[in-house]
Parts: sequence; structure tokens; C-alpha cells
Amino acid sequence: MKAVQDLKNAVRSRSIHVCYVNVGSCNGCDIEILACLAPRYDIEQYGIYVHNNPREADILLITGGFSPQWEDKLKMVWDKIPEPKAAIAIGNCPISGCVFNREGTYLDPPVSKHIPISAEVPGCPPRPTEILAAVLSLAPVIFKDYERKDE
Amino acid sequence: MASSIIWYLREFVRGEWISRFFTVKTPPLITPPHFRGFPILTGKECTHCLACMMICPTPNAIEVLRTGDVWNPVIYPGHCVRCGMCVEACPEDVLSTGVILETQKAEHTSYTATFHLTIDPVLCKRCGNCAVACPVNKEIDPYLGGTGTAFSDEVIMRISDGEMRVIHPEKCTGCKTCEKTCPNHAIRVARVVEGLQEAGE
Repeated sequence: MKAVQDLKNAVRSRSIHVCYVNVGSCNGCDIEILACLAPRYDIEQYGIYVHNNPREADILLITGGFSPQWEDKLKMVWDKIPEPKAAIAIGNCPISGCVFNREGTYLDPPVSKHIPISAEVPGCPPRPTEILAAVLSLAPVIFKDYERKDE
Repeated sequence: MASSIIWYLREFVRGEWISRFFTVKTPPLITPPHFRGFPILTGKECTHCLACMMICPTPNAIEVLRTGDVWNPVIYPGHCVRCGMCVEACPEDVLSTGVILETQKAEHTSYTATFHLTIDPVLCKRCGNCAVACPVNKEIDPYLGGTGTAFSDEVIMRISDGEMRVIHPEKCTGCKTCEKTCPNHAIRVARVVEGLQEAGE
């Protein structure tokens, strides 16, 4: 059975479905995620597919410093993602609020207060290479021997 | 028909084709050395002038902390935006990132900062908290009154004739302690940074 499981792990870590959600970012990080799709980085050759549908996704990329409108909605998006799942905070905003986290703003960072975050990619914005490296390093960990978890 | 299938099968078992099909074709994910990363220490002595903290555009991204007897700036990656301003502002080249220090040396550029103090007379209630909290004032006149009055003319600001007056704004180091202690947000410290370039040889 181990050979079958190894094959499953190898195949699954080369088929990562990603959904990204902007919880109040300036769009800088979204553009860097978009750059990953472009031919220079081309994430589909690593087996990463962007769907923007939480029901199809394995990994949720979160950008932005969490504006109050997302208070109830981000949890809804997170609950729709089937197991196994992971969330990655892209950029400084979901980690600390960055330049927007000043006195008198309504931002509520970090995002880890609201949903569990598995990895953080600091940078304002992070480079496409850093986003890619984070997704690629996280995927084998979350998919590893998934069926055996509940045994 | 058969020859075509055989041609395809032969094509698919070629090592080059298989490796190209299964592996990544774009250039490797490496960061060129001239890209700005999070600033790192060069090992030179920090003089605790706080120029890096003053120029930093993001809240809580850099702090100058003392470990043992030495002061050293500490960068927090979740806050830092990698703009490299601290590297350029530092007069002692304590921090380094990318090729900023080399470029600065080659082009003879530097930053100087001055600070403009403005007090809104409508909001100010003349409590003198700013003058008392100011660390520069404290050094110049240790006997500064608890209400912000001072006998010395050399202080940055003091209460005189029932009014908070800024006397020597050029002595301000931009720490913004006065802004933080002001109960009414009446005092504002504005940073004016000039980029200078000396004429080359």
C-alpha cells in the first residue's frame, strides 16, 4: 500500500488548486499573484491551478489587511473549502496591516485571528518567486498521507 | 497510420521530451543579488542616531535595540516594505540591502532630515506635556518645570507667557515623543527629508 500512497502523494502535490481572496488590499499583492500566472513564472507548469472558487480549492491565498466587511464573510469562504486545506497570507497586510495599520483605521489584522493561517509570505508586495516557493513548500506537507490522518 | 503511431511512441520515449514534459521550463526561482531584500547588518557600529527609524515609512518595521553594550537596528519582516530608505538614511552604513550602498557611494548621494514642529493653538491646552516629555529638552535643561516652563532659552519648546512656544525646532531629532504624549493631538512633527547629491570629481 505504501507505493500507492507515495504515488498519491506525488500526484497530489503536483495538482494544487488555488483560490485567492482580497480582504482589503491595495491590489499590489494581487498583481504579484497575477504575475505568477504569466509566462515568466507560469505556475501551471508546477501543477498549480487558479480557480477562484473555494469549493474547488486546496489552498487559499489571502491578501489585504482585513477590512470590517470581511468579518463574517472570510470564515464562510474558509468553511467552503474541502479538506485538506491551507491558507497562506500573502504580503505584509494579512500579517501586520503594514502601512494601513495606523491609528483611526478600521482594519483588523492579522488575518490569523479569523482563520488558521499555515504560512506567511512577508513583503510589500512579495515577489512572485516567494509566493510560488511558499505554495510549493506547503503543498507536500498538507497533502501528505491525507487518508491516513483520520485512522 | 502505423508508422505515424510508431513515430509518436518513439517521440514520447525520448529522454529529452520526457524531462521537458515533466519538469519546469521557466528560469529557476532565484532572486538576483541587486534586488532589495530585508536589510541586513553589515557589522559596522550603530551610533543610535535613529535616522533609520525616522525615515521608515511603515509603522513598527524597524527598531534600534540594545543587546549588551551595542545598539543595533532590528527589522521586522512582517512590517518591512523593503524600500531601502533606512539603508540610505544611515550615516554609518550599518544596514545593507541590494546594491544601495554601492550606488550611494558611486553617486555621492545622501539624505538630511529636518523636523518642523507645528502646534495648533486651538487644540493646545498649554499643559506642557510635550516640553516635559521631550528627551532633548531634558538633556538641555534638567530642571525643566513640570508645567513645561524653563529658564533656559536653549530648549526646543517651552511654556512662556501662558503659551507653548517653539524656540529651537532645529534641535528636534524627530522622535515624536511629544506627539505621543500630547492629550489633544495638538502638536505635529513633520519630517522634511532632503536628498543631496554632491558634484562628482
